[in-house]
Amino acid sequence: MFSMKCMTEPPTRQESRTQFNEDWAATVIGLVLLVLVIVGVIPPGLIP
Amino acid sequence: MTGTRSQAQSPARNAGLHAVLGVVVVLVLGAATRFLEKNVPVWFEGDVAKAIEYPVYAIVLGLIGNAILTATGWRERLEGGFRTEFFIKTGLVLLGASINLKVIVTAAGPAVIQGILLITSVFLFTWWLAGRLGIDDKLRALLSSAVSICGVSAAIAAAGAVQARKEQLAYTASLVIAFALPSIFLVPWLASVFGLSDEVAGAWIGGNIDTTAAVTAAGALVGEDALAVASIVKVTQNALIGIVVIALTAWFAFRVERTPGAKAPGIGEFWTRFPKFVLGFVAASVIATWYLGTVPAADGKEVIAVANDLRVWFLILAFVSIGLEFKVSSLREAGWRPVVVFGSAAVLNLVLALGLALLLFSGFTV
Repeated sequence: MFSMKCMTEPPTRQESRTQFNEDWAATVIGLVLLVLVIVGVIPPGLIP
Repeated sequence: MTGTRSQAQSPARNAGLHAVLGVVVVLVLGAATRFLEKNVPVWFEGDVAKAIEYPVYAIVLGLIGNAILTATGWRERLEGGFRTEFFIKTGLVLLGASINLKVIVTAAGPAVIQGILLITSVFLFTWWLAGRLGIDDKLRALLSSAVSICGVSAAIAAAGAVQARKEQLAYTASLVIAFALPSIFLVPWLASVFGLSDEVAGAWIGGNIDTTAAVTAAGALVGEDALAVASIVKVTQNALIGIVVIALTAWFAFRVERTPGAKAPGIGEFWTRFPKFVLGFVAASVIATWYLGTVPAADGKEVIAVANDLRVWFLILAFVSIGLEFKVSSLREAGWRPVVVFGSAAVLNLVLALGLALLLFSGFTV
């Protein structure tokens, strides 16, 4: 189904690990932005 | 020695630089999306121009950018910056701020029931059909997880569990996006043809469309209430990934590959596979619900509107990235059988999700 060149490529553990890091990054950045909005560091009208 | 080291560092530095350039491309197209969203209704009077929402501009600009970058040979180099998963997850965490905790708690029950029934039936059907068509076991696992749970992120998690090959993951991701792109427009249209309430439409979208970014795009096209329900349903499915991945890890270790001395996956594996942004989504709702209870309603609304603006930006960046990431070439490599499997499972998912949405979310209000 796939070429031999593709067959020799390493498995996908790396992608899997990257995704978990993105999970934490998205959680932390999303919550930090929300807190910045609530405490007024990012005021209304600043976001285009 | 120094020469060898700098030669080794050079590709890594180039990859980093290209990823930054990729992010710049996404930001520029995101800004163009925002510009078109604000100005097209002013330039062209009429209902059609007003009805076109930001997901449409973002995806179309992403696809145009994709065509240009592919033609000029830059797409592959810049793809490190097309972080759809990161953008959509950050957008969903911020979306949590606009959903009252009570809505999440009320919707969680039907969302979990819908998720378990849909995931089980669609996963088993896809696994069976792929087996009948003689598809490799690892690709079967990826296709079944992607179509039954949450598209690309489920495929990535399943690929880690069964040690699938890179090209199998790339192929599954392309298939997910190829089916998700028309669904973004088709399902909201069908929901309006069937006269579904926003809440039922949201539950249908969240249960049926595979990839989380496409669910958000379709939900946004229907409206804010549909977006809220669609997100809760999809986030619930995301949370169920961990269970499916544990089952797949055990199944492949003990039944498919029969690894000698393989250990049964435990609670640690579940935590490793659990999508942490789900916690961020709930935490944002808790923080915003608490905050809105401590300030006058008008002030609170104005502040949460800023978080909503940020959320729209992240969603736009995710939709632009979907368009930029779409790759036809990996679809051609695997032939027709996985397409038939995925298509059949998508149709089953569409019908089952509609039935369950009507059964579980009729009468639900945001």
